[in-house]
Amino acid sequence: MADTGTVLSIRGAERRYRADHAALAGADLDLRAGRITALLGPSGSGKSTLLRAIAGLERLEAGSICLGDTCWNDTTTHIAPEARRVGMVFQDYALFPHMTALANVAFGLTGPDKHARALAQLEAAELGHRAKAYPHELSGGEQQRVALARALAPQPSVVLLDEPFSGLDRRLRGELRERTVDTLRAAGTTALIVTHDAEEAMAVADELALMDRGRIIQTGPPDEVWMSPVSATAAKLLGDVEIIDAQVKAGQAGTPFGPVDANGFEDGQPVSVLIRPRAFTLSLDPDGPYTITRRRSAGPHLTHRFAGKTGEWTAQTPAPSPIQEGDRVGVELDPVYVRVVAA
Amino acid sequence: MDKAGSPSRLPGQTSGLAVLAALVCAAPVLAVAWIALTRDSGDYLQHLAQTRLPVYLSTSALVALVAGGGAGLIGTALGWLIARTEFWGRRTLSWVLILPLAVPAYVAAYAWLDLSQAGGPLDAFTGGAFPTIRGGGGAGMMFALVLYPYVYLLARDTFASQSVDAYNAARTLGAGPLTAFWRTSLPMARPAVAAGLALVAMESLADYGTVSHLGAPTLSIGLIRAWSGAGSLVDAARLSLVLVFIAIVVFGLERAQRSRARSVNGSGRHKPAPRLYLRGGTALAALLVCLTPLALGMIIPLGRLVWLALHTETATGLAAASFHSLTLAGITALLAAALGLATAYALRSRTAIATLATRAAGLGYAVPGAVAAVGVIAILSGIQALVDPSWRAMTGEVFPIVLTGTGAALVFAYLSRFAAAAISPAETALARITPSLDGAARTLGATRRRRVWHIHWPLIAAGVTSAGLLVFVEVLKELPATMILRPFNYDTLAIIAHNFASDERLGEAALPSLLIPLVALLPMIFVARYLSRQDR
Repeated sequence: MADTGTVLSIRGAERRYRADHAALAGADLDLRAGRITALLGPSGSGKSTLLRAIAGLERLEAGSICLGDTCWNDTTTHIAPEARRVGMVFQDYALFPHMTALANVAFGLTGPDKHARALAQLEAAELGHRAKAYPHELSGGEQQRVALARALAPQPSVVLLDEPFSGLDRRLRGELRERTVDTLRAAGTTALIVTHDAEEAMAVADELALMDRGRIIQTGPPDEVWMSPVSATAAKLLGDVEIIDAQVKAGQAGTPFGPVDANGFEDGQPVSVLIRPRAFTLSLDPDGPYTITRRRSAGPHLTHRFAGKTGEWTAQTPAPSPIQEGDRVGVELDPVYVRVVAA
Repeated sequence: MDKAGSPSRLPGQTSGLAVLAALVCAAPVLAVAWIALTRDSGDYLQHLAQTRLPVYLSTSALVALVAGGGAGLIGTALGWLIARTEFWGRRTLSWVLILPLAVPAYVAAYAWLDLSQAGGPLDAFTGGAFPTIRGGGGAGMMFALVLYPYVYLLARDTFASQSVDAYNAARTLGAGPLTAFWRTSLPMARPAVAAGLALVAMESLADYGTVSHLGAPTLSIGLIRAWSGAGSLVDAARLSLVLVFIAIVVFGLERAQRSRARSVNGSGRHKPAPRLYLRGGTALAALLVCLTPLALGMIIPLGRLVWLALHTETATGLAAASFHSLTLAGITALLAAALGLATAYALRSRTAIATLATRAAGLGYAVPGAVAAVGVIAILSGIQALVDPSWRAMTGEVFPIVLTGTGAALVFAYLSRFAAAAISPAETALARITPSLDGAARTLGATRRRRVWHIHWPLIAAGVTSAGLLVFVEVLKELPATMILRPFNYDTLAIIAHNFASDERLGEAALPSLLIPLVALLPMIFVARYLSRQDR
């Protein structure tokens, strides 16, 4: 594997479409060589704008984007996209409709052997036999693979993928995701994948970056980010979470389910206690303080909604479970899935 | 919004050209309005208002109603048959049905009047039972027969893209097939049909050759009489203004219809409707329904003219006239296609000036050729009057009449009238080049030049070519502006045909009349096939 030094660094990127709405509001991000970074954020958080800014398709109003020692964007320069050597896979794939798959892949190549190289790239994507097909003759999955082959063919320094699996059905998506990650790894490419699907982001990423309202709010390996979100917003981006407001007393934050470690916050400080649904362990107890109000099956696990005097929460419990709607239960917290952050 | 990114920068500084196109298209109309509103007129207009104007207005209304009603009926029925059913010959008919656009309405009128008048073959054959095709109703029918393709094209594409869900929903809510069609499919197609009808109505009000031959005095007859008979630019301009006003009303109504189209077609997913397979008798009936307008609008009138041409000695001057027609049409088509493309590019920049320019360019399309001609004369003679004094001071002679007396004035008028017709096809063609397509080419290292020639041009070439060819055909058919603006002894095929026909020398008019649709047919086939490419 390539070294893990930073290849691309983005500092303070700003871009606004309207005076009152900043698509990028000072985003910082580092891409590490040979690693796949997933950029996760809700719709409208500025992910695609950041991607387009890296490609040079969008101008920054402030901030910089530098590849090693070369700055593509800063206060004085804006290098044109065609001079950046960035590979990009568009959400709609943007295959040239009047060119064959082979001609599409060869488009970014030069030299007398460009068609041979393009064919080799297509063969690596197991699409050699479709080289002569036009985009509209290819299936959605094949189109995506041609688009990826086209982006990788010129051996770009960075590959950017904008929601590359969004147009595909669920089963195909999983398969194609694995294939895409394998292809990117085999090419040793530095890649940035934009997605709004948390599961997808964690499945593909070596590094995860969370984006909200034009800023990167947290980065790190997916497990680490999932286990230790820095804020309620970050936690919500990665999945369902119960948020309980509390005040720190004697190094602990109080919850209806007992006190939890305050994670170093000082006494008297207001904090949010983030609890993943799987942190709750439910046990049947006729005298328990909580009542099950709803029970839903969700494949390998169940969700139980339970209510007490001070509120109502959702627990994720392994299937099968004897606990039914209307049952009284006791609740315990597994501290591994609990995190205290600043309110 | 993430995806709301600005459209990718497109090559060239095209906004300037867009503004130029807009000026060319809008200037004559604005000049007409200026003259009509600022200069004093003579008694002619007052006299006219007291005598002929009511007749002009009522005849215009009759012509537009018959033309619109007929074209609406034919176009909608054919559009539905081609888009929603399947029968033997449907694929070919899909584009062949557009071809009557190559036939000028006045050519159809020459043939039909000749066939149906007292002593004509139809009159003799039916023992006088066949009515003579003439007057406002007759003229309206001629327009319906050759202009229905405007409605047909828009209706066909709308029916083809309509989701079947609305129809099915109506069925589940208790409506029978006919009721469901009547209450969902047809109203959903209404904006498209209205747009087609607006074009048909305007084209028929702009016409001169047909209505003068069939004796239907519409406003444009009054306009030409004011100009060539009374020689009054101001009166012609005032009458023009009435036509412009009608155009604004007609297109305003159409726009009001269209603005609602969005909410109707707004559903995200749609399932195209399955075709109804016609067999046996119904298939034959469908085929006949399709062939009837084709026969009435094209085959029968052209056949009659062929017969007439074969039985008459060929008139002289046809070669020169053909050359003039082709030159004028060719030059205008090239210029219009270029201006249309430039404007469409400028429009993609989404700047306010480009949008304004395009709307202004649309103004030219909305006015009759005679109005454009009057406007061009006003502008050019204005320039002449400006230049003349200083020219005299310098040379001691009168400034030569280079402006109004040349083909350049004609091309100016044609452009004013038809450049806008080239903008929207170019816009549609350019819409195929999504911002991400541009972005993909750029990230793959393509320079501006390479993007234009290897990505843009291959994708828009057919659309731009067909826009140019459409203008070519329109110029070939054009009569009133040519009559007003042509240099002395400068004949086109349309002029020769009109002159012979108005002298009742139809035999000699036959060949030039035939040459227009024959020359127009090849480009029209290209256009028709391009417009029907999804259907093939």
